[in-house]
Amino acid sequence: MMTLAETGLQYPVLAHFLTTGAILFALGMIGFLTRRNLIIVFLCTEMMFQGVVVTLVGLSKYHMNVTGQTFVIFVLTIAACEAALALGLVVLMFRRKRTLDSLSWSQLSG
Amino acid sequence: MIDIMTTLMTLAQAAPEAAKATNVITEHLGNLIPELILLTGGVLCLMTGLGREEGTRKATAWIAGASLLLAIIFIPNIHTITKGFYTKEILDMSGFIKLAACSIGFLLLLVSAAVPDLLPQTKEAEKASKFDPGNIFRGEYFAFFLFSLVGLMLTAGAKDLIWLFLALELTSLPTYVMVASARKNIAAQEAGVKYFFLGALSAAIFLYGFALIYGATGHTDLTEIKNVIAAQNLANGELSGMLITGLVLTILGFCFKIAAFPMHYYAADVYQGASSAVTAFLAFVPKAAGFAALIIILSTVGWIYGPEKNHLPEILEILLWVIAVASMFLGNVLGMIQKSVKRALAYSSVAHSGYMVIGLLVGIPAVASDSAIGNGIAAIIFYLFAYGLASVGSFGILACVRNEKGEEVDSYDEIAGLFKNHKVIAAILALSVFSLLGMPPLMGFLGKIYIFGSAFQAGFIWLVIIAVINSAISGAYYLRIANAAFFGKPAEGITATNTPGRLTGAFIGAVATLVLGFTGGFLVDTASHAAEKPPVLRDDESKDKAAAFDINLEPQAALNKDIYAQ
Amino acid sequence: MTLDFDYAKFIPWFPAIGVIICFICCMKPALRKLAGPACVLSILASFIAACMAYSYVPGVPGSTAAGEGNFAISHLFNWINIGDPEKGGFVANFSYFFDPLTMIMLFVVTGIGTLIATYAMGYMHGERGYARFFAGVALFIFSMTNLVMGDNLLVLYLGWEGVGICSYLLIGYYYDKPIAVEAAKKAFIVNRIGDLGFALGIFLTYMTFGSIEYKVIIPAAQELLAHGAEHAVALTPAVKAAVAQAHSVSPSYLAWIPFLLMLGAFGKSAQLPLFVWLPDAMAGPTPVSALVHAATMVTSGVYMIARLTPIFQLSEYALPVVAVIGGITCLFAGTIALTNNDLKGVFAYSTVSQLGYMFIGVAVISVGGVFHLTTHAFFKALLFLTAGSVMHALAGNLDIRTMSGMRKKMPVTCWLMFFGCLALAGFPFTAGYYSKDLLLGDAIVKGTIGNVPHANWYLVAGILGIITAFITAFYTFRLWFKVFMGPTSWEMGTDEGHEPVDDMEVITDAVAKEAEEADPHHTHHHGPHEMPMWPMNLPLIPLALGAAVLGMIAVGGLGLIAPKWIESMLFNSTQFAAFHPEHSAATDATHHTVEFISGSLAVLGIALAFVFHCWKREWVAVVCKPIKPAINILVGKYYVDELYELLIRRPLHTFGRVLFVFDDYVLAGLVNFASFIPRLAGWAARPTQNGVLQKYGVGMGLGLAITLLIVFYAWLAA
Repeated sequence: MMTLAETGLQYPVLAHFLTTGAILFALGMIGFLTRRNLIIVFLCTEMMFQGVVVTLVGLSKYHMNVTGQTFVIFVLTIAACEAALALGLVVLMFRRKRTLDSLSWSQLSG
Repeated sequence: MIDIMTTLMTLAQAAPEAAKATNVITEHLGNLIPELILLTGGVLCLMTGLGREEGTRKATAWIAGASLLLAIIFIPNIHTITKGFYTKEILDMSGFIKLAACSIGFLLLLVSAAVPDLLPQTKEAEKASKFDPGNIFRGEYFAFFLFSLVGLMLTAGAKDLIWLFLALELTSLPTYVMVASARKNIAAQEAGVKYFFLGALSAAIFLYGFALIYGATGHTDLTEIKNVIAAQNLANGELSGMLITGLVLTILGFCFKIAAFPMHYYAADVYQGASSAVTAFLAFVPKAAGFAALIIILSTVGWIYGPEKNHLPEILEILLWVIAVASMFLGNVLGMIQKSVKRALAYSSVAHSGYMVIGLLVGIPAVASDSAIGNGIAAIIFYLFAYGLASVGSFGILACVRNEKGEEVDSYDEIAGLFKNHKVIAAILALSVFSLLGMPPLMGFLGKIYIFGSAFQAGFIWLVIIAVINSAISGAYYLRIANAAFFGKPAEGITATNTPGRLTGAFIGAVATLVLGFTGGFLVDTASHAAEKPPVLRDDESKDKAAAFDINLEPQAALNKDIYAQ
Repeated sequence: MTLDFDYAKFIPWFPAIGVIICFICCMKPALRKLAGPACVLSILASFIAACMAYSYVPGVPGSTAAGEGNFAISHLFNWINIGDPEKGGFVANFSYFFDPLTMIMLFVVTGIGTLIATYAMGYMHGERGYARFFAGVALFIFSMTNLVMGDNLLVLYLGWEGVGICSYLLIGYYYDKPIAVEAAKKAFIVNRIGDLGFALGIFLTYMTFGSIEYKVIIPAAQELLAHGAEHAVALTPAVKAAVAQAHSVSPSYLAWIPFLLMLGAFGKSAQLPLFVWLPDAMAGPTPVSALVHAATMVTSGVYMIARLTPIFQLSEYALPVVAVIGGITCLFAGTIALTNNDLKGVFAYSTVSQLGYMFIGVAVISVGGVFHLTTHAFFKALLFLTAGSVMHALAGNLDIRTMSGMRKKMPVTCWLMFFGCLALAGFPFTAGYYSKDLLLGDAIVKGTIGNVPHANWYLVAGILGIITAFITAFYTFRLWFKVFMGPTSWEMGTDEGHEPVDDMEVITDAVAKEAEEADPHHTHHHGPHEMPMWPMNLPLIPLALGAAVLGMIAVGGLGLIAPKWIESMLFNSTQFAAFHPEHSAATDATHHTVEFISGSLAVLGIALAFVFHCWKREWVAVVCKPIKPAINILVGKYYVDELYELLIRRPLHTFGRVLFVFDDYVLAGLVNFASFIPRLAGWAARPTQNGVLQKYGVGMGLGLAITLLIVFYAWLAA
């Protein structure tokens, strides 16, 4: 297992960015699937978004253009919108059932 | 003197360039006039919805309706819709989807105009002596309604990945609120939770796909992406792994919007939990946006692969094939065993997505022709229209009828014998489900003919056979709905709501499926023209511009190219 | 090429509006009186529109559109467009095709339709289901005009089935009478056989030519017949493509098309062997018999063959077969009419017989076919309506053995019917004389010239037609003399007038009483009486005039219109664009001879009828005694119905029972089993929808993960 220095590289290369992004994305997804608290579930989706953001930034640098970074700004904006919605929804639901367990919302099925 | 001459000449040369640039901007803005009208209407709705006077608040729905009708008029080239073949100026694909969005949107508005009125919190707030803006949902509802439609229309005209992403989110975010709007209704809230969280998950998935597409091509402009992909294919004979991965992620993410396998799980719960008028909205708007986005993304790849140069890349073809078949089967077999009509219709929505994905597989034939059959994209956008009308009819009717507890009817028992006391309502319901079933001479039949016919011509024989089998299976529950409504034993305490708008909307939807089933030829013509002109143009001239971005995931190759390594 | 008159394409849609108004009248008892006038006016509007369109149609004498080809198309809306029309795509639009043949058919359908509907306002007065009747009539005219105007076989077929349904509804108008219901079913089922052939014919036409539009298939068929000879008009690309496709398919296709289409024509136009439904169809109200089962609908088979003549020429056997079948039907039905004692039955068989003439006419590509269609529409409508008046006066009695000397009671009806009988008998210089002898002359000419394949078949048909001319004259005047001449006597029928009860139209006693007062002739307590002038006898006068002089006018005899008007009219029709009828001194002589022979035979027949049925009625028994067995066969209508019962219906019925058992025990089991599989699959898939947010997320994630694994695998493998 070579360290970064041993590869002879001074700076992280594209692969590092992509891997970091993919790991963040995968971690977010695993969190989404395994956690039951709705706030944490939501934060996991945010983590997936951040994985995408890291990927985009890395690719933007690689391509030497700024469109990727522009994209990031918009992604963050949308993430903020979703956060607002999620908080509203979470408050509503907590008022309703005094719990944030996602399992308590499974009446509709079949 | 010479200086002046040179300056003049430079100016003379520059002037057309400048004029051209302005033209491009005005042209783009001109294409967006309907969206701008709806946005303005939405903002107006936000204001009037909070008006102190009840009259002002009641005007909100009217403003929304007026802006929808006004938007139809300003769709570019809308006047060409009734022209037959061989017209030069045509309604392009985004125009066609905008037309569908506005016209079906208007019917949806009729159906859901009473939603804010019937919400308990709004009722209480409006009855209260003190003005209580926090609980009056009217403005938000109609504004979100219009914003979501704007999202759909922007999706249809997207020319850039960022644009596409924002438009899709603009379509979805308001619908999350609309679903959860009935605060007192626990089912609606559950639907809202599921819809929102799974929606966010899917958004992350297709966004990751977007990032990879950007990575593989270096552009977010869709035309540029198309050119780079074409160049890549020309150079290597195949697409890079990053691009394929990006496309696969994107397609799967979009599957959520269209409620197709493997992202269909939410559909039944959300459609059932939301109030029927909102369900009608969900069944059409996000689905149309999803298909518009899929068409746009797939047309950057193009149907130019395979031995006959008329297929998608093999891996995407397999993926879409599986999506189509699994959606059809899952939707229909699950729809068959439901006790709830709404749930059955929700599963049928999954199945309909499966039918439409067949059209994506067929795509636009390599050789442009005036043929409507054989053009899968034309078939899809026509089918969307047919599906939208029929779902307005069916869900609209479910919104019209209440059981003895005052809730919207849901089960087969509750719609049983509807014909006895509510003849028109039962007839509309029957007409709509027959159209969904694809019974001639209704519009659903035409839609299926075009989808299946194009698949047949393109050689997807097995897919056609599977689709026909599925149509037969779907007959089981569609006919059960009609059968219950006409011949069942009338249930106690079933009343029709006093909402003429709902009945009118559903009525227009159902009658349109009948009339357009006979006279839909012009719409088919328009659709086939429109499909020839998707937002991502058949642009071959800038191919040479595209540098051969030859990126793949092999670290060594990446290293060689990496600027940081130098 | 389109017309610059836009209203022409709305000709069929005026009656459609009439249908809607009549339907509303059905629903609202207070409005029911409006149904009749609404129906009449809507048909009249169509007629006027057709008249206004006349001068714009290319090919008609006096057309302002001369020199623009031989047809015009008025486009209403795109209906079905699948694929590129230039490349064999399927195109069937709601477009209307105008050429002289269409115009003649339109005049017949809307003109005579207006007159008959007017008569029906009186005839059906106070009848239960008054509005329902007129809704049916207007719907019929709507379908019939679509049938004659459609510019492709699909619209023709749509109209064809539409008139079939209207015929079914109107025959079964008295739905509480078992005989009417039986007759309606019989008409519908027998027509199914013909329509199956017709539909297959359309499919085969599309397979052969890649199109079903007249503007493509007719020129294409003409091109095939001309074997590439020079043409005055250049072929359009679509026609060239159609010809190329026709060359590429098996030649047997070309030969089969006419026979399949023919089957449809024989069913609809009641020719052997499918004629059995028409006599029974007289169970409907008499105006229906006049309009649907004499003047218009039953002639649509004739229209179809006339329209598609070049297609029928694709097989050398097709037209000779049509001629011979027409000739045999002609004689066959004529002989049955000789001994029939039912007032409407005689005319029904005579209709079958006259339709046979028309088939001979279209088969020998004579103007006479469609000409006879036109004149027949006039005189047969007149005969049925006057017969209806008699029936009306006698409270539903139709047995002519019980009637005698009715001229004293009903003088106007008597003389109106006299004109109709003269024309039907082909008495010299009446309408029937001109049209019938024109087509018979052409048949004989074609049969004797011998330069066409199977010429002697045409000759046989012509001779059969001439023999029938004599029979026709005899049975027609047998009826007229029996009913109207001799000492006055009658028997009343069993109809109780018009009881005002109906499910749909609840009529109060007051309304019924009012109807009684307004229209006293509906009570039968004073014996038979003449019909009122308006609205019953007046519309018959134009019909009688037509029966008397239309033939003379149409051939230009009275100098009212251009000479040989009907000929120049029809030979300018699309299907004859490249056709030149034989004309020479010899053919003219043949024509004159035929005219003389059949005219004399008609006079002879009338004279014989006078002898046996007016002057010396007792001689009938004397003459009939030695030929009793022959007469029994005729009275038994050649036992065709019994034969069909034995050979077709019984075995089918037995077979049906076997199938029923099979269906009940085997197929139903299979179907239940088949529906069980998806149900089982549904139950199996249900656990995936367990309502838990994360489980759905897992489903989505699994879908994603599996897809990505496959992608990577494929990518690694590549």
